Amino acid sequence: MFVFRNYTIESLFDESVKFSGYGDISVLPDSDCYAWFYNAPIVFDAKRAVDEIAGIGDKLFMICEMIPSSKPFYIFSLENLFPLHICETDNRVAEAIAAINKKAIELSVQHHNVRLIDFGEFLSHHKPQDWMNWKFYFISQMVINPILVSDFKEWWGKKLASFTQVRKKCLVLDLDNTLWDGVLGEDGISGIKMSGDYPGNAFMYFQEGVMALANSGIIITVCSKNNEADVKELWERNPFIKIGPQQIAAYRINWNSKADNIRELAKELNIGLDSMVFVDDNPTERELVRQQLPMVSVPEFPQRPYELMNFYFKLVDEYFQTYRLTSEDQNKTEQYKANARRVLEQARFTDLTDFIKSLDIRIDIIAANEFNVPRIAQMTQKTNQFNLTTYRYTEADINTFIENGDYVYCISVRDKFGDNGITGAIIIKRDGNTADIDSLLLSCRILGKDIETAFVKTILNKLFSEGVTEIKATYIPTLKNGQVVEFYEKIGFQLQSEENGIKIYQLSMNKQFEVSELYTITIN
Amino acid sequence: MDKRIIEIMQRVFDTQDITIATNQNNCEKWDSLHHLNLIVELETEFDVEFEPEEIAEMKSFETVRSIVKSKID
Repeated sequence: MFVFRNYTIESLFDESVKFSGYGDISVLPDSDCYAWFYNAPIVFDAKRAVDEIAGIGDKLFMICEMIPSSKPFYIFSLENLFPLHICETDNRVAEAIAAINKKAIELSVQHHNVRLIDFGEFLSHHKPQDWMNWKFYFISQMVINPILVSDFKEWWGKKLASFTQVRKKCLVLDLDNTLWDGVLGEDGISGIKMSGDYPGNAFMYFQEGVMALANSGIIITVCSKNNEADVKELWERNPFIKIGPQQIAAYRINWNSKADNIRELAKELNIGLDSMVFVDDNPTERELVRQQLPMVSVPEFPQRPYELMNFYFKLVDEYFQTYRLTSEDQNKTEQYKANARRVLEQARFTDLTDFIKSLDIRIDIIAANEFNVPRIAQMTQKTNQFNLTTYRYTEADINTFIENGDYVYCISVRDKFGDNGITGAIIIKRDGNTADIDSLLLSCRILGKDIETAFVKTILNKLFSEGVTEIKATYIPTLKNGQVVEFYEKIGFQLQSEENGIKIYQLSMNKQFEVSELYTITIN
Repeated sequence: MDKRIIEIMQRVFDTQDITIATNQNNCEKWDSLHHLNLIVELETEFDVEFEPEEIAEMKSFETVRSIVKSKID
């Protein structure tokens, strides 16, 4: 699985799962399935939050178009872990989030590989004050409190398992003490209870639940030991029975063995026994069916009527949940589809280039100075992945480079959604018309928009304009910087030698590089 | 205590190959994410809480041990 995300969420998933850069949608690696797991931005300014959320929606829309329809795409609902309520009636952020989640529903109707995951459901199991742990957020941008990780893994595992679950087709219902309280043959059609006060109201709710299943396309059947005539009279005369001839596809009301009756029902409806669920309050009947028809699912039945609702939810959960609407609800689906088309027409971006342009990315390349030297030194200490040589330097070391007249630059990137601050650095030693790239590193946060290439090319152009024509570069492998093993090849360097994985490069410049015009770049 | 720390590290870094000489440079899996997992596991196991400054320092078995020790003594 490959997950698009905007915060640190790696620990929520297995090691086999791969992740995009933060907020990055420029790379779509091949994967068996994809997920979208963004969190609402943690910002104080509601206006900015709303803009960022709209940007998240744009990204989601684009990625959804790009993912092959043969691959599952799980979209986690956007949730606000940072519900700032200085003004209680300020709903702007909540409304923006609701709009994205609505858009996601439309996407899931339009794309059959898209499945919505209600992340809010997971959060609702936990107290809001437990959702985040600011210590871990501040040290690693981790938005979900680590103490929720194991619960999340369990919840997500169950979700994944439920996706492959096959929905049962048919519910086989007993009548006495299952659909109503009492025994029809003893209490009579007005003596049984399925309305009014407890316990009748519990059975009424259960019947309404069964109706909801019928409306969602489940075949409802009845298998009861009763006199058929009594039940028919009940259907005609008792106004409270909700499960009658209209809802029931077939029934066996007689004194035969229930296993035989169920076998006949399966044959009559032309469905497999393994697609049937048998609900009966009588443990002896349940045991008989379990033994004789092991393919039929037979859940335990609650002892007390008030437990019927929890029983019903479990029944739905285990056997009858469906993700897609069935053909009975086709009209509704059509409406959804029309809405989704409207969204499609409104879509502002059709490809990644346009999207990057719309971000209005500004790259400032800044010569090292007393204000940014500490940050540059810190980045050489901490950056592991996009780091070509992984030389670690102190502030004093950086100052020595500057005093020697070497080039030390850092990069600061911002776009319409915010400022990432200083997120990369390059150190180049110069000797006459030759130069040697000593260090090149960038924070993962800004990767994926090809900013790295623009950065290096702009710097090389500057060197060229100052008379440098021969440039050397080095890649030193570490356990963590595998992603940049071919970075210099991408720029256009020639590999001179390779020993123990250490690659030495050479580049002769006779003209300036063309730098992508997707960004506004300044250098000073 | 050493044994408990080693067991946690074995679990977090998914390797039996953990010794008192293990550190972030000689342990392949010990990246920033596994580092956080390690911190969370240690906090749970020893029922302590580390300060961000301590978390930044705990990059070898030795430093982990000394900081854990300082917390529970």
